[in-house]
Parts: sequence; C-alpha cells; structure tokens
Amino acid sequence: MTKGAVIPKKGTTEKAILDFIKEAWEKNCFDSLLIPVEIPSGDSYTYLLIQDPSLIENASPLPPITSVQGARAISSITRKGKVTKRIAAIMRPCEIKAGMELHKLEQADLENVVLISVDCPGALPLSDYVPDSKTGKEKFLKVLKEWGGESVRPVCKTCLHFGAELGDLHIAILGDENSIYLIPNSDKGKEMLRSLGISAEENLPGWDTKISEIKKKKEENKKKSEEQLESEVLGLDRLLETFSKCIGCHNCMRACPICYCASCYFDSDNTEHDGTDYVDRAENKGALKFPCDTLFFHLGRMSHMSLSCLGCGSCEDACPMSIPVAQLFSFVGQKNQELFGYFPGMDKEEKVPLVVYKEKEFEEFEDSH
Amino acid sequence: MKEEFVPKIIGFVCSWCSSAGADVAGSAQLNVPSSFVPISVMCSSRVDPTLILAAFLRGADGVLVAGCRPRDCHYENGNYYARRRFALVKNIIKSLGLEPERLRLSWIHGSEGQRFADVVTQFAEHVKGLGPNPARKRIDL
Amino acid sequence: MAKVLKINKGVEEGVKEVLKFLLENERVKGVFTLRKTGKNGAVTYALIKDPSEIDNCVPLYPLMPINAAKSLSTLTLREPLSESLALFVRPCELRAFVELVKLQQGSLENMLILSSTCGGVYPLKMAVTNNTDRNLEKYWTSLRAIETPSDIRPTCKGCEHFLPYNSDMTLVSIGKDIDKSCHVVLNTKKAEESLRGIEEEISDGELAAEDMESLRKRRISEREKLFSDLKTEDFGLDGLIDLHGKCIGCHGCSSVCPICYCRLCFFDSEVNEPGFSSYEGEMRKRGGIRVPPKTIFYHLGRLSHVGISCVGCGSCSDVCPVNIPLSTIFLKIGNAIQGTYGYLPGKDLDEKIPLQTFEEEELAKFEQ
Repeated sequence: MTKGAVIPKKGTTEKAILDFIKEAWEKNCFDSLLIPVEIPSGDSYTYLLIQDPSLIENASPLPPITSVQGARAISSITRKGKVTKRIAAIMRPCEIKAGMELHKLEQADLENVVLISVDCPGALPLSDYVPDSKTGKEKFLKVLKEWGGESVRPVCKTCLHFGAELGDLHIAILGDENSIYLIPNSDKGKEMLRSLGISAEENLPGWDTKISEIKKKKEENKKKSEEQLESEVLGLDRLLETFSKCIGCHNCMRACPICYCASCYFDSDNTEHDGTDYVDRAENKGALKFPCDTLFFHLGRMSHMSLSCLGCGSCEDACPMSIPVAQLFSFVGQKNQELFGYFPGMDKEEKVPLVVYKEKEFEEFEDSH
Repeated sequence: MKEEFVPKIIGFVCSWCSSAGADVAGSAQLNVPSSFVPISVMCSSRVDPTLILAAFLRGADGVLVAGCRPRDCHYENGNYYARRRFALVKNIIKSLGLEPERLRLSWIHGSEGQRFADVVTQFAEHVKGLGPNPARKRIDL
Repeated sequence: MAKVLKINKGVEEGVKEVLKFLLENERVKGVFTLRKTGKNGAVTYALIKDPSEIDNCVPLYPLMPINAAKSLSTLTLREPLSESLALFVRPCELRAFVELVKLQQGSLENMLILSSTCGGVYPLKMAVTNNTDRNLEKYWTSLRAIETPSDIRPTCKGCEHFLPYNSDMTLVSIGKDIDKSCHVVLNTKKAEESLRGIEEEISDGELAAEDMESLRKRRISEREKLFSDLKTEDFGLDGLIDLHGKCIGCHGCSSVCPICYCRLCFFDSEVNEPGFSSYEGEMRKRGGIRVPPKTIFYHLGRLSHVGISCVGCGSCSDVCPVNIPLSTIFLKIGNAIQGTYGYLPGKDLDEKIPLQTFEEEELAKFEQ
C-alpha cells in the first residue's frame, strides 16, 4: 500500500502542482526550478531553469509534448562544474529515469538536484503537435481524461512506468478527482515534505488500484506491439525495409538522452574509409547504397545504449522519416535489460552492467569445454 | 558447376592466450581452415560490440571472439567484460531476428593448440551449415 | 555550337541508356545515381558496378534523400577516385560538391559529371507518406509544360540556378517532348569521347535558351516572393525567438547540410558547453535561462559559418522535426552574404571562397 500526502485541489490539477511547487520554493526547499515552459510563439515548450518565481506563470509540469528530453537538460546544467545551488527538476518519469542513468554514466550530477516526477498519460508526437498546437492542446486534454488513448506516441502506449516511484518525490494525479498525492521516494523527498510540515502517511488505495488497472491495459498493448514488431520488422529483409527510408541524419542519436558523446563513434574517423573500400564493396555486391552502413549505425547505437534505453520516444519524435525507431530500440533494449537483469533509471547507485561482472555468468554464451 | 561454399570467419583473437594457442596449432601443423582470418587484439575486452557488428554486417559468415579463460586474463579481468559485451551484441542480433549462431565466444588457453584448431574447425563446419551470410550481398545495408 | 546526343526515348529511359552504355563499355568503372531501394518507394543514391543494376535506378526521381555532395565527399575525402565514375546529380548538389572541393573535403578527379535542367524535388515528408509516386504524373506534366511543379521544396521553386555549371553532360529534362525524346547536351570533349560508338544520333545543337530563360524569370519572381514572405529584416530578437523557439537542438540541419563538414561541430564541443557556473550567471542576470541554452547562437553561428557557400538545396528544412523554415532563412541571408562579393557558390572551381581570401582594399563601408 503506497503512502503519501493528500493535497486537496483548488482548481485544476496543473494549478495544484504549481501551487505546491511555489510553496516549496517560498519555504526555501530549493534555489532554482527546472520546468517546461510554453514558448512565446505558443507552438511548443522548452525547459527553463528559473531563479525568478514569477517566470512560473507559463510553466507546465505536464506539457502535451516532450520537446527536449529532460535528462539532456539536467545533464547540460550539472555535467560541467560544481553545482552550488539546489535545483528542483519536475518532469516525466522517463526523463527522471534517463537523468538517473546519466548520473551513473557521469554525465549528470544529481547530488544537488531534487527529482520530481508526475503521473504521465503519455505525450503527443512532436510532429502532430507543433504544426497545430491549438488542436494539440485539445487532444491532450482528452489524453488526460482517458489516460492515454490513440493520439499518444506509440512507445507511450506500452509504457509501464507512467506512475513509477522513482526520483525523490512523485506527484500522483490519478485516483482522485479532488486531490493530488505527494509520494516521497527518497530521503531528499521525505525531507522536503517534512520541512513543509506535510505528513506523508496516508494510504492511497485509490491510486494503487488505478495504477494496476492501467498497467494491465498497457501490458496488453505491449504484447500486441511486440507481436506486430516481430511480424513486421524482424529479420534481415524486414529490418532493411524498415530502415530503407533512413537518410542518416542521426537525429535519433542526437535527441536520445543516453547518447551523450559529443562526437559520436559513427560520425568519427573510425567509421570513415578510403574511397577504395566503398568501391570494393560496390564491386562485391553489384552496387552499394549511399549513405552506407545504415544498419551498422542503428545496431551499433543499440549496442552502445540499449542497456540504458528507457523507451522515452525522443528518437522517434526527432526522426524526419517517421521510422519507428523508439519502438524498435525499446524492444531490443528490454530484451537486453532482461538478459542482464538490469532495470535502468531505478537506482542511481547501481552500476551499469558493462562496467561490472561476475566470475560465473552467461555460461550459455561462452564455449569453454 | 556450383562453387562449394567456403565460409569466411573473422576471428578477434587476444594476443596472450588465444594467439599463443594459434601459434601452437601452427607449429604442430594442425589443420586450421584457411578461410579463417585472425585479427589480433591485445585483449578480448578490446572487442567493442561495434567490431563484431561491423564484421557481421560486412558479410563475415562467422565471427569468433577468442580470449583467455576466466582467471587467466593477462590484464586480470578483461575477459569478464568481453563476455558481457559479447552477450549484449549476440542478444541484439537474436532480438532482431538476425542469425546469432554466426557469433561465437571461445576461451582458449595459450597451450591449447589442438583446442584452437578444433574450435576454428568446428565453428567453420557449423557456419558452413548455415550457408553464406545474406548481409554480404545486400546493397542497401 | 555544342554537340547534342538525341535518343528517341523518354528522358529517364534515355539517361539510363547513357549510363548503361558508359558502364558496359568501360568508359567508366562505376555509376553514381538514385536507385530504388526497398518495396515502399524509398530511394537512395548508390554506387553501381553491375550494369544490370541500372535497371533499378531512377536518376530523375524528384526526391533528395541526401545531398549527393556529402556522399561524393565520403568517397573522395582521403584520396581522389582511382578509377572513373559517372555521376548523375542535381545542379545544387554539384555546386555544393564544388564548394567542398574548395574546402579540401573531396576531389573532382576521375569524375564524369552528368546533370540535368532541374525541375526541383519534393520535400522528404512526401516520401514518408508514400505520396511521391502518386505525384509523379503531375510532376512530369509540369516539366513538359515548362512550369514549376507545385509542392516541391520552397527553395527549389525559387531556384534560378537550375542549369548545371561544371557538368560534362546536361540532360534536358524540362520541355514539351521529354516523354518521347531525350536530349543530352555534351559540354566537354571528355563527354563526347566517353560516348564514342554509341548507336544514337549526335549532332550540333544547343539548349532551348528561350524556354530556360522564361522559366528562370519565373523562378526569380518565386524566389522574391519566398524571401519577402519571410520578413527576416523585421525579425528583431523577438522574431528570431518566435521562429526558432521550438528548436529542440537536434542539429539535424547541420548533420545533413553538405557544407557543414566538421566532424565535431564547434557548437557541440566542450568550448561551447555552458557548465553550471555559466547557468548560474545567466540566471542571475535574466531570472531564468532556456535549457539547453544558446539556440539562437547556434543558428546564427552556423549561418555565419556556411552562409557564404549555401546553395539552397533545402535539406535542412526537410530534416527539421519541428518545421523551422531554415532553408529559406539560410538561402536568403546566404544570398545577401554572397552578394557582398558577387560570389555564386559552386559555379567556378577556381574562384576562392571569399572568406578564404582578401583584397588589400575592400569593404570600406564596413570600416569605421
């Protein structure tokens, strides 16, 4: 039974969350706030790191889209130099998880960051929202009401961590029309509530029930989506067909929060060859497509980041050719995570699987007679 | 007349144990298939997943990673990391419906010349049964 | 008077015949052109060695999945080609490659260059929705009427440089008989030599100058409209922020731009990375700061780096996940930068890029 604090709403859910944030800020729980804010032109959102509380006016703790993956924002702020102020970051569960992974990979420093997550119904595809944000906002209201539905991104439809207990404090919006719940997940979270005089000892059965109900539905979606992938995308021929439209722009890699290398291996000298190499390959096959090594890039990227893949969907949002990269990468990511018994984004002290080992393991992979 | 399929195997062979094993095989004139192309690496842990993927996608019929047995790694624990990386890449290939049986990880001790010859020969036989790697001819890879 | 090869076939079939002839008779050792890949209408460039693969080619397909200059640079970055290659690319791709050659990112050696009077390409989104094939008929109807097809890339609509510079052969792909008759203007002796023995008519002739000139005038007026619709002069800081606010910092524009050749872009490097103390300082000054920051700096910075060589291919706009009209901005302001020096990127291989050279006395109006 999850325990937390029940905070009655005085208006919309968004207002209730922002009121809580404002109070915590006024009472000095943190120095600056990282939160999505609508941009002046009204057709998208951006993360702002704010020190001036009045800038919270156009903020949205749960925007209809994820434009920049929140973990990239956390990394940008905390990766270089000592973080000397306390930052509260409010974002979607997948962004929180990515932030935890980046902390493990030494690309973010979460010591002075309070991570606040919100129950997430999913996000709309970027390419659907931006051209017509008015309709997009209406769609998202429906998404909140139905908790999901057809208009969210494909990976959101199968996400099981929409209400996960991660980060330091979780704000639950499901389960009760009239209140939001505050669920502390760590000492930092508990301390914040304690300093505000908020007791987090109430049982939240309504929330628990709602979460498991939605999880069941999502699990069904997941099964269906895996079956579809297996029949439409897997195998060499179908994989090549899926990636036949890939133009090699590498937007997916750039949007991915886990892909942190300033200069990607696949853009480096290592993957650049003499002209004769390309000519020889063309000779062997009869012809060679350009740009070449498309599948090598995607499989290689999988081998580098899939153990930390959260299925956040930013890659698919950024793809100009609408290739289902997020669906494929999160599918393979999960298979690898199952193999290693590793759950990315859960425990920031847990090491990523490739930097540790056991003396006896993976015997099915080695041939040692 | 159809040409007999001779599988091309790329082997990432660590310099300490596995290469030594290869040397022993060589000096004892044991049979190692000539279509085996060894690439020397200092340690099996040098083998980044992308090296295996590059060999596989370029069309190698089989990719072998050979390193020292656990506890015998010249750098103490390189081969443990290698095993994890290998498991990762093999699982990716498997999850995508490609052919994971074309990848093999073998531990070979420096003195095991016969084992070296056996591993390569058996792997070549196994890969021959799989037929040529379809990736080799694909223009759109 | 130039020589013109005349084939009694439609232009696409005609140019394929030429490419096949060149490869089969070993006048070249390879062909580089657009090829159909996959079953769902995807098209990519390919380096072709087997003449029978030319049957799968679609040299004039109105799509540019990648600016060919990037691929040509990949092929010739380290060393010039050691064997001859016939390429069929669009005029702007050729210009971009000439710029890259000036920047030491490739070599034109051993290339037999074929290009066409370019009718423009569709935005890549059309390929996403599998609509390109459906639009093909409309496309060719427009080209037969010597008109600009609707729905092509905005920068294509306003492109007056649709006649290739520096090509050995120019295929006339705009004109009333292009479905029946394929004319290839042979611009160089090299082109004539390469077609020695082809069983088709080669006679004196020229491009239909009047048709091209009238089309050019229409393109120029389209361009003026395109530029005046996007009032960059009135932007100011607010306007810039309005337009670029939705940028997600994917830098796809830089990735696909043929002129952006830096392996590690300045804007991705450590030098440009803010760090917490930088955030703190900006927050103190402004009350808050966008994360990641320096979006406008990136766009204006990239413009200052590549504007001088921008050929207006339009790849940047196509790749942008949030549809910022980058190619219009870059072409408009690029043109203004180029105009300062009377410079047309990619036209003349021997003309240095203006930022790589100087005169002792010049630009007095910028000096104070």
